[in-house]
Amino acid sequence: MIAIETFSLTKKFGSFTAVRDLSFKVKEGIIFGLLGPNGAGKTTTLRMIYGALKPTSGIAKILGVDVAKEPLKAKKLMGILPEDTGIYPRLTAEENLIYFGKLRGMERSTLEMRIDNLLGILKLEKKRYIIADKLSRGQKQKVAFARAILDEPPILLLDEPTLGVDVMSAREIRRLIKEYASSGKTVMLSTHNMWEVEKLCGRIGIISNGQLRYIGSKDELEKLAGEKEFEDVFIRLVRGETIETV
Amino acid sequence: MKLFKGSSGIVKLSRGFGRKGYSLPDKPWLVVAWKELLEALRDKRTMINVVLLPMIIMPIVIALPMMMLNPKTVPPKILVVVEDKEAIDLARSIKKLHNESGAYVSITANGGNYANLILNRGIDLIVEILPGFSRNISLGKSGYIIYYYDPYGTRSSVAMSMVQEIIEKYSERILNERLAAVNLSERYIRPIDTIVKQITSTGKVATTSEVMTAMILPMMVGLIAITGAGTFAIDMIAGERERKTIEALFTAPVSRGEILLGKFSALTILSIVSGISTLLSALIGIGLAVTSLVEATSVAHPQISQLIEASKLPYVTAGILITVALGGLTGNAIMVIAASFAKTFKEAQQYVGFLTFILILPMIAIPYAPQSIYSILRILPISSLAMFARDIIVNPGDIMPVTTSLASSIIYLVAFLWLSSKMFGRESVIYG
Ligand SMILES: Nc1ncnc2c1ncn2[C@@H]1O[C@H](COP(=O)(O)OP(=O)(O)OP(=O)(O)O)[C@@H](O)[C@H]1O
Ligand SMILES: [Mg+2]
Repeated sequence: MIAIETFSLTKKFGSFTAVRDLSFKVKEGIIFGLLGPNGAGKTTTLRMIYGALKPTSGIAKILGVDVAKEPLKAKKLMGILPEDTGIYPRLTAEENLIYFGKLRGMERSTLEMRIDNLLGILKLEKKRYIIADKLSRGQKQKVAFARAILDEPPILLLDEPTLGVDVMSAREIRRLIKEYASSGKTVMLSTHNMWEVEKLCGRIGIISNGQLRYIGSKDELEKLAGEKEFEDVFIRLVRGETIETV
Repeated sequence: MKLFKGSSGIVKLSRGFGRKGYSLPDKPWLVVAWKELLEALRDKRTMINVVLLPMIIMPIVIALPMMMLNPKTVPPKILVVVEDKEAIDLARSIKKLHNESGAYVSITANGGNYANLILNRGIDLIVEILPGFSRNISLGKSGYIIYYYDPYGTRSSVAMSMVQEIIEKYSERILNERLAAVNLSERYIRPIDTIVKQITSTGKVATTSEVMTAMILPMMVGLIAITGAGTFAIDMIAGERERKTIEALFTAPVSRGEILLGKFSALTILSIVSGISTLLSALIGIGLAVTSLVEATSVAHPQISQLIEASKLPYVTAGILITVALGGLTGNAIMVIAASFAKTFKEAQQYVGFLTFILILPMIAIPYAPQSIYSILRILPISSLAMFARDIIVNPGDIMPVTTSLASSIIYLVAFLWLSSKMFGRESVIYG
C-alpha cells in the first residue's frame, strides 16, 4: 500500500513559490529521505503533509487519507518531529511526553511503560523531572523524537531528526528509525546530510528551489553516480541538470 | 520561581500535579487545560497576578487613603492656647477628644512661635482662645478663637473638623441660652430647615457600606474581567507561538476548537481564582475603609459581613461568580483575538495593553453614569457585564434589568468566542 502520496503539491507565500508542483509516492515500510540545500522547501513540504500548512494547490494523502479533508484522521496516523522541536520549556521531559501521549489518546499504563522505555533508550532518565528549559539542544531533540514515536504511529515524518545531536545519540536515533521501518512502518525524513541519507534511506528525493529534481531508490542513485562522488551528483541534481546513466 | 523548581530545573512541588497527567481521562480539552495550568503554576507571573497583586495591592489602594484620614491610625496633635483663664472648660472639653479619637491634646497658657510649632514640631492644629473670650460671650458679643493649621496636611484638616464639632456644640449651647433669655425658639433663627430622603428602587435606606459596595464592586468585576487572566491569554497564544511549540501542538490529532476549549477552561479557572482573590481583597479593603470612615464620624461600627445584606448574599455571591466567569471568558476571548492577531509576544502585549485601556474606560465611567443611560449600558459590550454586577448587588429581585444585562453579556461572549476560534484557526497563528 502507498503510505505517503502527494499530487502536484504547491505552496506560495505571497508571490514567492516555496514548493512547486510536487508529486511523489512512498510505499509502506520504506525510509524516504528528502534531500536538499537550505531553503529548498523540505520543511514546507513536510508541513503540508502533516497538515500544519495548507497547500496553495495540490493534495497530500496519508495511507489514502486526504490530509486537508480529514486532518484529525490523518494526524492520528502520523508521528511528527517538526523543525523547531516544540518542546515546552516549563514542562519536564516526562510531562512533555505525557502531554502528547494523552493528546494522542494513550492509556495510562501503556504511556507510562513507553515513556520509561524511551527515556531509558535515549539516556534521558536523569532528566525526567527537569524542566525542558534546562535541557541541551540535543536533549530537546531527543525528547522531541521520543514524542514522535510515542504511540508508534504507522508513519513518521521527521524534519532533520539528528540536528544538533551528538554522534552517539545520532547513531541511536538512526538505529531507532531503522528499527521502526523494519517493523513495516514508513519514515519520511528531511536532511541536507548526504551521508545520513546514504546510510539510512531506501528511497531518496532531491529537492531544490521548491522543485523535485530526482526521485528513486538509493541503488538507482548510486548507479547514476557510478564512479563519481555522490556529492557531485547531488550538486548537479540540485542545479537541475539531468544526468545520463552510464 | 525557586518555590516551584530549583535553579537546577528539577521540579519538586508541582511534580505531583505533573504526574497527574498520566491518569487524565481521554478528553483532549482536559489534557490541554491540565498542561496550561501546569505551565501557569511554573510561571512566577502567576504568583504576582493571581495572589500578590490582588491580595496586597488592592486593600492598600482602597483602604489606605481612608485609614490615613482616621485619627485613630495616626492621632493628630492639637495644642490649645488658653489666653482667657475663664475659658478653661472649653479647653478641657477639647482635651476629651483624646479618649474619643486618640488625638493628643495639650493645653497651655501662652503659645510661642506658632509657625515653628506647626512646620517643625509636628503640631497639626493650634487652637488659640483669645483674651476676653468669656467676657465677650457674657456681654452678648462674640468670643474669638483662631485656628492655625497646615493646609497640606490631611491630619490638620481632620483635627480641625473634630475641634470644630466641639466648638459648634458649645456655641449652640450659648445660642440656646441667649434665645431662651429673650423668649425666642430655636426655630426663630432657623427659618428654613432641610430634610434628606433617599430614593432607591428597593425602598430601603442604603448604608454607606452598601453605597460603596455598589459603586466599587461592578468596577472591580469589570477590571478583573479584562485584566485578570490577560497575561495568561497572551502566554497561551502568543507565548506558545513565540516558544515555537504551537506547531508541534497542532500535529496532535486534536481539533483546534478542542485545544482552544482547553485553553479557555484553564483561563477561566485562573480568572476565577484571581477574580475571587481580587474581590475578597477589595471587600476587605472596602470594609477597612468603611470602618475607618465610620469610626471617624463616630457612627455604629459595621462588620465586613454587613457590606451586603444577609438576605441578598446568595444572589450576590452567585452573581459575582457568574460575572467573574463571564467576564474572565469575555476578556480572554478578546485577548485571544488580539494575541492571534499579533505577530510577536511584544506586539500582543501592546495590543492587550491598549485594549485593556479601552475596555476599562466604560467600567470606570459606570459609577458616574446617569440612571437614564443604564438601559443603554446594559446592552453595550463590556458595560453590560459591569451593569449585571451592579444590578445583582443593588437589586437582585428586579428581573428585567438583571436578565437584560446577563443576556447581552452572554451574546457578546459567544460572539467574541466565535471570533477568537476563527482567529486561532488561522495559519498565521502558527507561523506568524
Ligand atoms: N512562513 C513563510 N513565509 C514566507 N516564506 C517562507 C515561509 N516558510 C518558508 N518560507 C520560504 O520558503 C522557502 C523554503 O523554506 P523551507 O523552510 O521549506 O526550506 P528547507 O528546505 O526546510 O531549508 P532548511 O534546510 O534550511 O531547513 C525558503 O526560501 C523560505 O524563506
Ligand atoms: Mg527545514
